[in-house]
Amino acid sequence: MSHTLHRQGNEDNLQEDYIVFSMTAKKFNEVNSRHALKEFLRILDKYEHVNLGDMKTGGKFLVNKEQIIENVADTSIVHAVFSDRTQLKAVLKELKAADLGVSVIVSGMVKHVEEACKEAGIERHTVEYSVGIRGKLAMLPEDELLEITTMCGHGMVSQHLVRQMLIDLKGGRRTAQEAGEYLATPCVCGAFNPRRAQRLLEELAEIWCFDEV
Amino acid sequence: MQIDARKCVGCGQCRPFCTMGVIHFTRSGKGTKVHCTVDEDECVDCGICYRSTVCPVEALHQPIHGWPRSIRGTFSNPLAEHKETRVPGRGTEEMKTNDITNRYKRGYAGMAAEMGRPGTGARMRDAEKVFKALAKLGVEFETNNPLTGLLKDKETGEMNPEVLNEKVLSAIIEMIIPINMVIPVLETMERVAEEINTVFSIDLVARIDEDLSDPVARIMRENDKWISMNGKANLGLGHLNVKGAVG
Repeated sequence: MSHTLHRQGNEDNLQEDYIVFSMTAKKFNEVNSRHALKEFLRILDKYEHVNLGDMKTGGKFLVNKEQIIENVADTSIVHAVFSDRTQLKAVLKELKAADLGVSVIVSGMVKHVEEACKEAGIERHTVEYSVGIRGKLAMLPEDELLEITTMCGHGMVSQHLVRQMLIDLKGGRRTAQEAGEYLATPCVCGAFNPRRAQRLLEELAEIWCFDEV
Repeated sequence: MQIDARKCVGCGQCRPFCTMGVIHFTRSGKGTKVHCTVDEDECVDCGICYRSTVCPVEALHQPIHGWPRSIRGTFSNPLAEHKETRVPGRGTEEMKTNDITNRYKRGYAGMAAEMGRPGTGARMRDAEKVFKALAKLGVEFETNNPLTGLLKDKETGEMNPEVLNEKVLSAIIEMIIPINMVIPVLETMERVAEEINTVFSIDLVARIDEDLSDPVARIMRENDKWISMNGKANLGLGHLNVKGAVG
């Protein structure tokens, strides 16, 4: 149902993770909406974002940003990720003023998104929650890894790649920033937050050790 | 996904990309070179190992599979489209365009079981167990969802038997229910969760009330049920006159 809904974490690190994205509705307002969706991305690009992308083209750690914007189609779902609430609030104010007519969705801590909406003079229309995970929970990786892998809701960021990045980080083969950005590359939507991943990897590198090293 | 054993040099660079962790080292016989191989029964054809372009000798290749194996790629690779159901993506537009479609009306809630999320993958036989349990409650499954298209009987939740052994990275059982059904549906999901060999993530969505209160948060709180501090909001900025669209 959602590629941005089930991001795991605690209040401390989730408050650095907000995805603002847009699409239009098939059979309603999709036709020729690409111009507005491009303008949406250009507005988002004016602010300090940590990722930006369109599933049809890729994220900015895979593809040139201008190419992403130019390739936007009527059926695109376009995203940018912000790690700063001040930026989020400013983005929402400009999006409201721009009145593009496209649907705008924000994923993040519910109370912070609600607060940002109020400051921008926006009344939320519909809200969706994650109600958690059920089933054979022993199949899941450690919670700390899930905080990173769930930033790609399509599941393209493997727990094994995260483990590899931790090994590389501890072995001095990559910096935490490089590892965070590398983990963003499998996420074709550009919804992955590499800055939050960097922070989580830095924290994990301090407390984890590996038999494989 | 397959790996050409003749080309593969056994560097293993593709292995960490595998979402299912099913690329292994092997050799064809004693004294022969080490190479990588994919456990194709467990592979969900997500294609990320191929798209990562880390293979130095282009040994990875994605065969074009026929029915029913073809559903693995369409449900697992976010770049693929559903030829079987003619619906793109794993789910629907759901609440993302609710300000335009009014799919979720006041008095109703959307719920979903995202089978195989996060990251475990799911066999369709497990999806069928959840479908069947929910069907007993009389819920109506979302017709535009590609997984619903694999049902043989929407009344009973029975799936097309040809797909039951297929494994996908994730697939979404999606429904719209009267808002007073949220807790019975959730508790049914919790009961059937004990019978499956995978995990699922649960979604809950509803339109904000006229007084700006959040009906599903209230229901969950009143019933001592947990919801995440993290969520998703449609801001209601969409309308039919999209800027720059003519006609």
